[in-house]
Amino acid sequence: MLAPVAALPHYPFSEHRLDNGLRVVISEDHLAPVVAVNVWYDVGSRHESPGRTGFAHLFEHLMFQGSANVARGEHFTTVNAAGGTLNGTTWCDRTNYFETLPSHHLATGLWLEADRMGGLLDALDQANLDNQREVVKNEKRQTRDNQPYGSWLEHLHELCYPPSHPYHHTTIGSMADLDAASLDDARAFYATWYAPDNAVLSVVGDVDTAETLDLANRYFGGIPAKRGFPTPPPTDIERRLGKEVRRTVTDRVPVPRTFVAYRTAPFGSKEFDALQVATTVLGGGRGSRLYKALVLDKQLLQPSDGAVVDSWPFIGGATLTIADLPAREGVDIDVLEAAYHAEVERIASGVTAEEMERAHALITSHWLHHLSSVEGRADTFGQYATLLGEPGLLNEALPKWLAVTAEDVVAVTAAVLNEDNRAVVTFLPDAPDEQEAAA
Amino acid sequence: MTLISQRPPVGTPRPWRFPAFERRTVSGGRVLAAHLPGRPLAVAALVIDAGASAEPLGREGIAELVARALSEGTTTRDSHGFAVAGERLGATWRASTDWDSLRCGFEVPVSGLAAATELLAEAVRDAAFEDDTLARVRDERIDEVSIDLSQPAARAADAFAAEVFGDTSRYRRSDGGDVASLSAIANDDVRGYYADRLNPSAATLVVVGDLESVDVEALGRIVFDGWKDQASGPATSDVSSRAPGRRVVVVDRPGSVQSMLLVGHDGPPRKIDDYVAMTTMALVLGGMFSSRLNLKIREEKGYAYGAFGGFDTRKHGGMFVARAAVQSDVTISALADLVAEIERMHAGGVEPDELEQARAYRAGVFPINFAGVMSVASGLGEIVVHDFGDDHFDELRQRILDVTKDELDASASSRIRPDDLVTVVVGDADGFVTELKSAGLGPVTIVPDEQ
Repeated sequence: MLAPVAALPHYPFSEHRLDNGLRVVISEDHLAPVVAVNVWYDVGSRHESPGRTGFAHLFEHLMFQGSANVARGEHFTTVNAAGGTLNGTTWCDRTNYFETLPSHHLATGLWLEADRMGGLLDALDQANLDNQREVVKNEKRQTRDNQPYGSWLEHLHELCYPPSHPYHHTTIGSMADLDAASLDDARAFYATWYAPDNAVLSVVGDVDTAETLDLANRYFGGIPAKRGFPTPPPTDIERRLGKEVRRTVTDRVPVPRTFVAYRTAPFGSKEFDALQVATTVLGGGRGSRLYKALVLDKQLLQPSDGAVVDSWPFIGGATLTIADLPAREGVDIDVLEAAYHAEVERIASGVTAEEMERAHALITSHWLHHLSSVEGRADTFGQYATLLGEPGLLNEALPKWLAVTAEDVVAVTAAVLNEDNRAVVTFLPDAPDEQEAAA
Repeated sequence: MTLISQRPPVGTPRPWRFPAFERRTVSGGRVLAAHLPGRPLAVAALVIDAGASAEPLGREGIAELVARALSEGTTTRDSHGFAVAGERLGATWRASTDWDSLRCGFEVPVSGLAAATELLAEAVRDAAFEDDTLARVRDERIDEVSIDLSQPAARAADAFAAEVFGDTSRYRRSDGGDVASLSAIANDDVRGYYADRLNPSAATLVVVGDLESVDVEALGRIVFDGWKDQASGPATSDVSSRAPGRRVVVVDRPGSVQSMLLVGHDGPPRKIDDYVAMTTMALVLGGMFSSRLNLKIREEKGYAYGAFGGFDTRKHGGMFVARAAVQSDVTISALADLVAEIERMHAGGVEPDELEQARAYRAGVFPINFAGVMSVASGLGEIVVHDFGDDHFDELRQRILDVTKDELDASASSRIRPDDLVTVVVGDADGFVTELKSAGLGPVTIVPDEQ
């Protein structure tokens, strides 16, 4: 197997479990005097109760509002005054919190994370909830409701998962459910899911492993284990849609744009890995088939810096592989969509060695790029540990992708990227007079 | 006890300096190289004095078209062939322009650095610029701008620049141009700009990565050997502003659920004596999560997902702007809060603890900001663009640690000009325009949402 690097990277790490069940992953990297501290909680929007969509994300905001020994606002000022950066994110399967710090501030990062893991309720109050509820509603307005094409996620979730499935709704949730969220909901959510035995702490950077483990014990060790979590809503679902489903959305958008989503085996599966390579052959980079056919030769597709086709890393029953197809001005969207499907079908006649070499080289360098920062690596250790139970899978990912063959690409494309397994959402621009009526 | 209430002691800071780099002249060309041991990926990029600020009036956006067209076919291979050649090395091509430079190059596994540098030289020296290709690249760019401008933030930024800067100012239009200026660009304009501006005397090769087994001299020769200047240098830049005074532009978007707010005015260039004081003051106002604007608009009022602001300092000028996307029904209150915070900073300067926070953050974050090869390459690019010395970033960090409250207060007083605030609102005008006219922000002009 030809790889663009002489030796595949292996990132050393050690894995530990504190008495309270907190998993700790430590990976030393002394190239720069910085450290990434990252906590993944095994809770996301798929764990939400009916009528409380958007709650896991709203709760993430509350985690920045102070805790037992951290006053409101101090979480940010403490990290910033240390010369550090921070954030948190929520998605269907998880919630993560992270800061990057000059490495001599490691203990401060651990202390802050421990304080909100064990002591959030001391600071949680109605005023904080009401304020962050408004912030989150404005986040939804800014990133979805007031953006052209901003509803695309919602349409795909609705079309690809039945109402009974926890991926049917988006992570941002609905305005009505956000309005309904109460302080009791927040207390219950915290008591149910936020515990050391439902979390993974990853520390990557210029640290000493033994010292870091001591610090983790010191700051997190006193937080009691919860021992026992509710069974999350069931995610069992067919791995294929079984038919084509379509939705057309007429909206205030500048050009037509189509999203094509396919249901596929979840993150961590062999099929998912094969699809990573297949979608790179198809739509990763400017040397890909879709780029050549749709951007250069036929001039139907508006080029972008990202991949044309990509997959989400969901673990609940089935995940999605999604093609994003914005049309060039004046192009009939149906012509673009047909040309796209034709290119996907053409994979059936085979993939050349040169195409495989290009895909493997791109996947390798993108992976190296992703893992080159301490924050990227800490987050990825947390991802594999939380979603698949094994942080060491980080070192196995690249060999798995490089082992995918041209035959595998042909087979997985035929099995997954076909017309009986796709949801198609097409945005069309409003006619001007319809816009008036809508306003 | 379950939690440790006492804050942890802070360890001893580990020494940090901006990575040492060497300057060489190879085949008459300038080369900057920084050795960062242990990194699997490396960068080879050209920083060229061909930024957007000296583009001809009415044809703004040429530099960006040139940057994009470089990888769209050379005298020896077509666009697809060029892409595949790089991607088979695992190399990622990036090319873009800003106001003061055109930058292009590869991030690539170290083993492919020489081959990627060959491709970089081929793109910059032997670009084919065929008619069909240039027309496609321009039309793609026009479509891209149309899509961008459908987003409230981009539409507001365009309206803001057009109101702040004068009719003959290059800063009046975005550095990538707009639909009108791009539509006016002919293929020969692109070729002419390329011939005039992409010359070895205007270019610097930046190489960053684990250079243990890399022959930097040879990389320099690949790029510069036999490369000759075709024509001479840039025209001068006009970056003039309009007459001072408060005024308001509303871009009317019926049905908007938020109003995009921008408030600010023109500002000074990068090389000024109070650069550190001015930008540290701006950090207190709007550059961090805990800055005044965000604490007020988001954490106190809940009006927006975030509110930020600061100075954009370019080689020849710049601007000061504060921004927030707020729910429509609080448009007037949020504007009043933004303006009040700007006025308060102008009149009263900063508090000692705010200075401490901003200074500690800004000086402390250097090791994080320059941990990777891409960010170090970008830092070297800044050194090239502004002709800074070898110790620039270390000196800058020391200046930040030394800056005083008096210096920040003086910058707040002189650099923020409440009487000249230009306000732009992109939103549903019916909901707020009556109140806006009596808000004390100056005369209000309402424009329809067209490009």
